[in-house]
Amino acid sequence: MAIERILKDDASEEKGERARMASFVGAIAITDLVKTTLGPKGMDKILQSTGRGQEVTVTNDGATILKSLHIDNPAAKVLIDISKVQDDEVGDGTTSVVVLAGELLREAEKLVAAKIHPMTIISGYRIAAECARNALLQRVVDNKENAEKFKSDLMKIAKTTLSSKILSQDKEHFAQLAVDAVMRLKGSTNLEAIQIIKKPGGSLKDSFLDEGFILDKKIGLGQPKRIENAKILVANTAMDTDKVKIYGARVRVDSMSKVAEIEGAEKEKMREKVQKIIAHGINCFVNRQLIYNFPEELFADAGVLAIEHADFDGIERLALVTGGEIASTFDNPESVKLGHCKLIEEIMIGEDKLIHFSGVEMGQACTIVLRGASHHMLDEAERSLHDALCVLSQTVNDTRVVLGGGWPEMVMAKAVDELARQTPGKKSHAIEAFSRSLVAIPTIIADNAGLDSADLVAQLRAEHHKEGCNAGIDVISGSVGDMAELGISESFKVKQAVLLSATEAAEMILRVDEIITCAPRKREDRM
Amino acid sequence: MAAATAAATAAQPRSSKTESYVDNKRKEDIRQANIKAARAVADAVRTSLGPKGMDKMISTANGEVIITNDGATILNKMEVLQPAAKMLVDLSKSQDAAAGDGTTTVVVIAGALLKQCLLLLTNGIHPTVISDSLHKASTKAVDVLTAMAVPLELSDRESLIKSASTSLNSKVVSQYSTLLAPLAVDSVLSVVDPAKPDMVDLRDIKIVKKLGGTVDDTELVKGLVFDKKASHAAGGPTRMENAKIAVIQFQISPPKTDIEQSIVVSDYTQMDRILKEERNYILGMIKKIKATGCNVLLIQKSILRDAVTDLSLHYLAKAKIMVIKDVERDDIEFITKTLNCFPIANIEHFRAEKLGHAALVEEVSLGDGKIVKVTGIKDMGRTTTVLIRGSNQLVIDEAERSLHDALCVVRCLVSKRFLIAGGGAPEIELSRQLGAWSKVLHGMEGYCVRSFAEALEVVPYTLAENAGLNPIAIVTELRNRHAQGEINAGINVRKGQITNILEENVVQPLLVSTSAITLATECVRMILKIDDIVNVR
Repeated sequence: MAIERILKDDASEEKGERARMASFVGAIAITDLVKTTLGPKGMDKILQSTGRGQEVTVTNDGATILKSLHIDNPAAKVLIDISKVQDDEVGDGTTSVVVLAGELLREAEKLVAAKIHPMTIISGYRIAAECARNALLQRVVDNKENAEKFKSDLMKIAKTTLSSKILSQDKEHFAQLAVDAVMRLKGSTNLEAIQIIKKPGGSLKDSFLDEGFILDKKIGLGQPKRIENAKILVANTAMDTDKVKIYGARVRVDSMSKVAEIEGAEKEKMREKVQKIIAHGINCFVNRQLIYNFPEELFADAGVLAIEHADFDGIERLALVTGGEIASTFDNPESVKLGHCKLIEEIMIGEDKLIHFSGVEMGQACTIVLRGASHHMLDEAERSLHDALCVLSQTVNDTRVVLGGGWPEMVMAKAVDELARQTPGKKSHAIEAFSRSLVAIPTIIADNAGLDSADLVAQLRAEHHKEGCNAGIDVISGSVGDMAELGISESFKVKQAVLLSATEAAEMILRVDEIITCAPRKREDRM
Repeated sequence: MAAATAAATAAQPRSSKTESYVDNKRKEDIRQANIKAARAVADAVRTSLGPKGMDKMISTANGEVIITNDGATILNKMEVLQPAAKMLVDLSKSQDAAAGDGTTTVVVIAGALLKQCLLLLTNGIHPTVISDSLHKASTKAVDVLTAMAVPLELSDRESLIKSASTSLNSKVVSQYSTLLAPLAVDSVLSVVDPAKPDMVDLRDIKIVKKLGGTVDDTELVKGLVFDKKASHAAGGPTRMENAKIAVIQFQISPPKTDIEQSIVVSDYTQMDRILKEERNYILGMIKKIKATGCNVLLIQKSILRDAVTDLSLHYLAKAKIMVIKDVERDDIEFITKTLNCFPIANIEHFRAEKLGHAALVEEVSLGDGKIVKVTGIKDMGRTTTVLIRGSNQLVIDEAERSLHDALCVVRCLVSKRFLIAGGGAPEIELSRQLGAWSKVLHGMEGYCVRSFAEALEVVPYTLAENAGLNPIAIVTELRNRHAQGEINAGINVRKGQITNILEENVVQPLLVSTSAITLATECVRMILKIDDIVNVR
């Protein structure tokens, strides 16, 4: 007797072998898509939006590419999620994590084909990941005590991160920018205090770090363009008459003069509000909403600098860095915390006038002004710089550093290989596969650089047979080189996150033996 | 999903990465397609380069017709879809923002570079190697150009005019370059702030277009020009000497509250009273205005209520106050800066010290329209107005674009005071020096730099071609002359031969040339690094 349908109409179900195949296929396809962006010679992708405006983005950032893809494969979605998490947690290594997870699955596929139970593979992977992590831990360098050395470590990390991005040509300059900015933060990972402003024009080299805060707004007419020892009130309030918010409220009068009186009263209300604001003893007023002509003139008369229509992000950050609070009522001047800064002035960057707040309360705050040929360039530069800032701020907290250029993968692979030889049973196959997946990363880096990967990786493996070797792939000269000498370093935290989340993701996908697709929610056709 | 499956089936046969050959077919295809698309764009504007370059007629989607020679404008209106082609459009926009002129040159150079890159790619050189070499070559190129440049003083009005006319010579309005070039120079120099001598804000130069007359009638106005007529609905004055000007941001009309209001009329005697009250209200306002001695009113446009009513116009006319209404809010800053006055947002604040003073405000008839001119402003701010005239809209628009380019050229010279020869001389010299340099470099780099050098010859080649000369003969001779050390030899398009181009007064700002080279290189490098196009949400 045939079983009756269990699932709803459009829902589908895939089982066992087919389900596993589907997830492998999806995950591997995603991996193949992003893997060419890996490494210093990785290529960029054009993301062509099919939406309105057909916008074009050029990027090398794994997280950005994956985030914007159309994906219908559940396993592929898992990979995208881990790259997102990697982006949020440590900011860099978003491509690496996906590639490693993909390679793990590629190996697992072969093992499954060789009739090894997924659970065995999973437990093998787990042991291998633990072992790889320990191997890496033994080789980390920690220069926490030595400030001088630590700073050079940071520079190296920044340069390594940037070398795979669009900023590679000016990496010295940008590494210095990023390190300076992060050092100002003094250990906090609050990247909010670093503001990035993009201004087209000039070249990337003209980008600079500025202490203080820059607001992309104009100063109101007839108001002072320069204020020293400013007391700033940051507000989010409507500056027009407080309208009665009851629907249909209207005033009935029986003569024109009364209308004039009401208008006068409205104006009076506005004036009162302005007076109240000025009574805070301020000389700079920043509002998120519009300040109309009338209050603007009042402020100008009082010699107060008023900035209207600052965007939400802008005022929150301004409140943060000047140490003020965003106010919306002005009845109790005592309870409102004002922001302070030493100097407000109007500056010109490229063609535009901006307002510069220097000597702000929160010393950590700074602004990086990016200049570049086009918007594509600036957007990509911002993404790259953001990656570098994230990694650096993480490294400041966790000062352990490892070498780069495929070195960590080779160290881990060696340890995992040895473990495989000592492990009895089927698990050893899985552990061996793990080591192969790790080696895939230097292989891809070499491939992307147009080098003979098979040869290079073999050489690298031979080098790593020696104790305490620092060999990695030197992409520039196309040979095996000493990573310590070349100054290629990475943050341990990033590497660890890549290793652990890739293993977890692979494990999760491996566990799947059935995919149930729910019926898509029907959309009502609107006529 | 379909794409994912396809990619996966392709991935399956190569089981182990280390052993198999990597198939790069798709990437090659994408790169080729990108380069071809970008070159197509470059070819489209190539013929408009140089003084004998041709114009393009663009008919836009909404039926408007534009005739222009300006690379940035052509590309902007082209509506390209291919992403790499779009990047070229952006490139010309960037050049427009950075230097204002040379928007065609930059695209032509990028196209030539891409052509050379395609050759290098087919020779199997890795794109990143090419990209790095291009970067090196462009840095070197900027050094060479800077070494060639001639320093300039701002007081040297002649040289400034020369470079402005070089820019104007390639435009439709070239026959007016003797008029427009000095005009551009004067207007830029008049807005330079002595406190910040390197900065010119082109927003301080207002360009007003008015149909009628010819381009010859274009003039520089020391003062303000409004493309509006004075309100004389009620026979108000249209000419005012010793004007006291007020810029107001409130309205002279019956009161209106923010809260919805209605006047209840219960019997007919009230109607009379209301009308009378309205009259008194307006009269009161006008009296206050008159009391300060103000005789010209500029009224900001209001969307909430009428700026003026017939009634208030009538009273204003009686009070002998000239009224210009519907001034845009965006223009207020420019106006107040020029008049050295403050905007007044409320009748209560209407005070004499907020007024601006001018010797003469008058309405002038021009063609079929009228404009209002304010001249002889007391303590005038550092602003200038240029009034462009022309026999038809197309000419006026093109004249505006050309003038904008010329203004940008002068601005470039103010911020970076170096001149360089025009007429293809710098490009051929670059090509020669980089070619020599490439011989001392090692490996792939040298090969790529040589290609870069060859690509630069496209500028003189195109100049000659557009002028109807034999490009090969000209470029060869040019190369020859430069090899003999005449670094300023360039193509003299008028005479159709090679001469010392500096003596021919064909000069351009250094900034235009350097930014064209660096921007074109940056764009080409970006295109080279792309290996896939992904469709996303």
